[in-house]
Amino acid sequence: MFPKLDPLLHSELRLAVMSILAGVDEADFTYLKKQTGATSGNLSVQIDKLAAAGYITVEKGFKGKMPRTACKITPAGLEAFRGYVEALKEYLSASN
Amino acid sequence: MEQNNEMTAQQSLQVITETFNKSRKGILRNSAKYFMLWGALLTVTSLVIYLLWHFTGMPQWNFLWFAMPVIGYPAAALMGKYDVDVPQNEVSKMLSGVWRVFGTFAITLSAIAICLVPMNVSLIIVIIMGLAECMSGVLLKNWPIIICGFLLGVCGAIVAMLVKSEAQLLIFTLGGVLLLVTGCIMKLQNK
Repeated sequence: MFPKLDPLLHSELRLAVMSILAGVDEADFTYLKKQTGATSGNLSVQIDKLAAAGYITVEKGFKGKMPRTACKITPAGLEAFRGYVEALKEYLSASN
Repeated sequence: MEQNNEMTAQQSLQVITETFNKSRKGILRNSAKYFMLWGALLTVTSLVIYLLWHFTGMPQWNFLWFAMPVIGYPAAALMGKYDVDVPQNEVSKMLSGVWRVFGTFAITLSAIAICLVPMNVSLIIVIIMGLAECMSGVLLKNWPIIICGFLLGVCGAIVAMLVKSEAQLLIFTLGGVLLLVTGCIMKLQNK
């Protein structure tokens, strides 16, 4: 019996966002947009979903005079991401 | 990248690997410009002091070394203003930490050598510079940088003991070139 893949992470854009955030302290909205190539609207919706699940925190502020939205992965998000990768490994080892 | 909830396990893994690598490369590419800045500054400063000392015979030109942090830190801060959207990862943080520690040691020891206890500062600085370069190579998993750092530290120490006066400064010109090369390697490796 294979572990169920977290449906929140099993989406291309949300998974890409989590992959970026898992490797950095925190990332700016514009950086995430540039790295994923997503539209602002779509990215914003997916970020809200991840934040609502407690996987990431979103902090709005300013850097100098420029508005800044900083996203950071939470310990729960990191744990969920690890679990997702582990589940993926099981699927892949079974299919090989 | 748009919504796709029907990914296979392979596609998911590909998304994770590609996104993670792309982000990591971007961060390291961004760090490269700081290596290039300090490398260029060190090359120019050491050459200018060498030439001034050589042609005037005045070792007092060594005080110009203190111009390096005065120019370098504001320049680095100015460059940092333009990468607001580039985050830090573990490697870029450690690289920055290694060179900050090197800078602190180099400035403090130079000041002590001038004001309190005379010592062969070139010898000490070239060793810790080689060490910092070596550490950078280890963090970047790059053998050419590790070897260059090792050679800079060891050969530089020998030269600093054997060569007297202004010719010692040329070790730092070489160190500066090495930093520039490290920056270029980082840029190329993370294209």
